[in-house]
Amino acid sequence: MKLLTIYLEEIRHHLPLKNRDDIIKEIRSLLMDSIEERNPKPGTEPDEATIKAVMADFGAPRKVAQQYGTRAFLIGPQMYPVYLNVLKIVLVIVAALNILGVIIAAVSGSSAESGIFVTLLETVGGLISSLFTAFGIVTLSFSLIERTTPEEWRVEIEKDWSPDDLEKVEDKERVKIHELAIEITMGIVLIVLINVYLDRIGIYYLADGGWASAPILNDNILRYIPWITAYTVFDIGLNLYLIRKGFWDLGSSIAKILINVFKIAVLAAIIIGPAIITISPTAWDALNFDLGSTAQQLTRTINITLDVLLGLAIFGLVVDSIKRIIRTLYSKTHIDFTFKAD
Amino acid sequence: MTDAAKHDQTQSLVQELRRGVIILAVLSQLHEEQYGYSLMKGLEEQGMQIDQGTLYPLLRRLEDQNLLESDWRVDTSRPRRYYILSELGKVVLEEMLTEWSRIKTTVDKLLANEQEKNYEIINDLP
Repeated sequence: MKLLTIYLEEIRHHLPLKNRDDIIKEIRSLLMDSIEERNPKPGTEPDEATIKAVMADFGAPRKVAQQYGTRAFLIGPQMYPVYLNVLKIVLVIVAALNILGVIIAAVSGSSAESGIFVTLLETVGGLISSLFTAFGIVTLSFSLIERTTPEEWRVEIEKDWSPDDLEKVEDKERVKIHELAIEITMGIVLIVLINVYLDRIGIYYLADGGWASAPILNDNILRYIPWITAYTVFDIGLNLYLIRKGFWDLGSSIAKILINVFKIAVLAAIIIGPAIITISPTAWDALNFDLGSTAQQLTRTINITLDVLLGLAIFGLVVDSIKRIIRTLYSKTHIDFTFKAD
Repeated sequence: MTDAAKHDQTQSLVQELRRGVIILAVLSQLHEEQYGYSLMKGLEEQGMQIDQGTLYPLLRRLEDQNLLESDWRVDTSRPRRYYILSELGKVVLEEMLTEWSRIKTTVDKLLANEQEKNYEIINDLP
């Protein structure tokens, strides 16, 4: 009987938390039924051989537990192809950026001191660790999508389908899951980057036989971080909703426009506010680019360039918002939606 | 493909074929309440062998789908969980039975036709 207790404990260990005790209670009762019937001397304590035979019949604890469990996916079959695609894209980009960094270091000649072998090792090491990080972030993003997107909506889409629906689908503006998934991933990367690894955004150069870095963002950026984080979180939330919904509706269009306005305000504040980039003279000298400009001059140029880029980003956001307004106004379904009330 | 692999493939196809039928068989036996072991024995006696590891979790899943109701009984020698068809289960079983007899008739006919054709082909051989 002791063996039976161990066996049940073993099954229990692998069972999902929900209803665990009840399931074990039932399995015990069922096993006892089996043992009782197989007992060669009914009415007496069953011998070990009988108990073992019943357990062998019933199966390995893990297998039994599995039968009682519901299957949970980290990334389900529906999202899996999208996940693979996004993963490939992100890994290629990360690898390319890494290699670019090495080429820049090689061209600037700063790697000569430490020897080619050490540089190579560091490069491979850096590449592997950044690939793993990228893999982790993409996987995490998708498992987040998997968990926040209940299966019901997919079923709901298929339910009561008729060919007439195709016309309706044509009117609706379908979301592009690939794009949204990449946006979510990038959003999470951005949040982690500016909140945790802010000092790692910088110039990397070889000094004293090892990699050194100098941050390029100065303290002026700090006041914007909560705002950037906030709109990125809103964006991720909206994207999750859109993946779940499958198409743009009135609410999500309005939300998108509001988020864009929010973004424009933050970006404009950065442009108007003090410069956020400072190039460290030490790092700049170490890079050894012969551009004939000092770190100070460069800092000014880069900040102006940044302002121009932010201006372009604002322009892009304005265009995106106008596009959204036009699509909302001229989509048949949305007009249907507005007149549905009466 | 090795013989073992062929055997595995056949087994998994056969299991797939059996899966739906098992649910029908189980529901059909639960107009009166039964506990897991008695249900398994009853099915076995009538020629329907179902693994314990398949049957017992299946009962729970059917209960989760509201097709069965269950109850712990302590009046016997040991506590046992008894299952019985719910109202929904009865309705679903009726529909499944209708569908089953349709499938059975159709498939029987299909197979009979096919057998006849093969017979003719063999007879036509010189």
